[in-house]
Amino acid sequence: MEAARLSEPPDWLERIVLVAIPPAAREGVAGDLWETYCSPRQYAAEALRTVPFVIASQVRRNLNLPAILLQAALIFIFLGGTATLLLLPALLLRGAYQEVARPCPQRAIREAILMSSGVMALLLLIMAIWFPLAGRPGLDHFTWLNLFLLGLLLSPLLCLFRAGLILQGDRCTPACPDELKKEELTRGYRDFQHALLVRNLLEASALTAAAIAGVFFAWNVLLVGLFLLAALYLFVDAVPRAFPAEEDFVSLRARYQQDLTRQKQLRRFLCWLWFSPVLMALHTRLMAEHVLQAERPITAMLDCVAAVILCFLAAALTSEYGGRIQENIGLLDRVREKISPA
Amino acid sequence: MTDSLGQFEQIVLTAILALDDNAYGVTIHAKVEDLSRPKKAARGAVYATLDRMEDKGLISSWLSEPTKERGGRSRRHYRIEKSGAKALRESARTAQRLIETIAQNLGGLAWKPPG
Repeated sequence: MEAARLSEPPDWLERIVLVAIPPAAREGVAGDLWETYCSPRQYAAEALRTVPFVIASQVRRNLNLPAILLQAALIFIFLGGTATLLLLPALLLRGAYQEVARPCPQRAIREAILMSSGVMALLLLIMAIWFPLAGRPGLDHFTWLNLFLLGLLLSPLLCLFRAGLILQGDRCTPACPDELKKEELTRGYRDFQHALLVRNLLEASALTAAAIAGVFFAWNVLLVGLFLLAALYLFVDAVPRAFPAEEDFVSLRARYQQDLTRQKQLRRFLCWLWFSPVLMALHTRLMAEHVLQAERPITAMLDCVAAVILCFLAAALTSEYGGRIQENIGLLDRVREKISPA
Repeated sequence: MTDSLGQFEQIVLTAILALDDNAYGVTIHAKVEDLSRPKKAARGAVYATLDRMEDKGLISSWLSEPTKERGGRSRRHYRIEKSGAKALRESARTAQRLIETIAQNLGGLAWKPPG
């Protein structure tokens, strides 16, 4: 028993190493480090030499340039250059450390509660700062009470939204058996491609319609262009790709996984793109109100809160969808080929 | 037209080819160190190269059953895909031409391939 303990890394050290390894590479890399374990010192040194490469590789693999650029542009517009420079590495690392499964329900609900509590705290803080100026238009006690009640309502509303997403995710997650025949895998891949074709065509049409509407609503030209480009990409992407029939199980699975990863990246970008016009409109209003803030501070504050909530919703949607795709990729990773008896 | 492989990619692909069914992180790293003697190769660099080649579709990977000697974790196995084999063959042809040219010009100083 003692000999067995000596051939294992200490729990505390292993836990630190596990946290440092990005989840997508954790299983293989942590197992390899364990297998070559000699002493705590060697284990720590090997982990220190290995993990930075693994992190850099996961940053590269999860780098979704269009989505990152869109997010960076939104941060730049709202918070300025310094915040963008500070948050960009955080966004890249967030991509590398994304979970290989959907966020667990407890964590998701906790995030929603934290989010609404943050908004409440913000309201209270601003209330404390602005209270001496209650004589100004739109800043009476009744308005503050209304805002406070709105903040109180926010928590259950966000939790409900998160719970809805979790339930929908539970319904959509397929049960993947341990073994699959090649024909079953091929069928599953074809079904996925068909569903993608329908979704791409629908979303491309919606993006085109939104871009046309954007012209009438005087959206930013860049945003209209982005919508049209995304629609065009989806139309092109909708053309089903043929896959060679002679491909074996492993190659087919790898191709399926690559397509799933590509979709995850694409949908993340599209989700943020859909939210962009509203965020941009809020920003334009905020800028206009900045000039008039002496007259309308409440509206400006509500716009800030709305922008934060919208970002929360976009992040929740992308993490649920991305997590679901990652779950599928993970299930495919472990599935073995079922050979039919001759 | 296949992408040309970098030297380290060639070494890693060759290691996977040589290891056949037993190609996973630890064994690939050991084989890479053996192939690139006297140079040392960082295990992290091997992982990064494996990820990059997988994204290019040159190799594919999957997880095995968890094993006790790995603390209940699975091995990530790798296998060369057709495009990987093709790229490796092209690299081998280039290397062959290099060897022949060096042998012709440097004579006894160069290593001569057997046969």
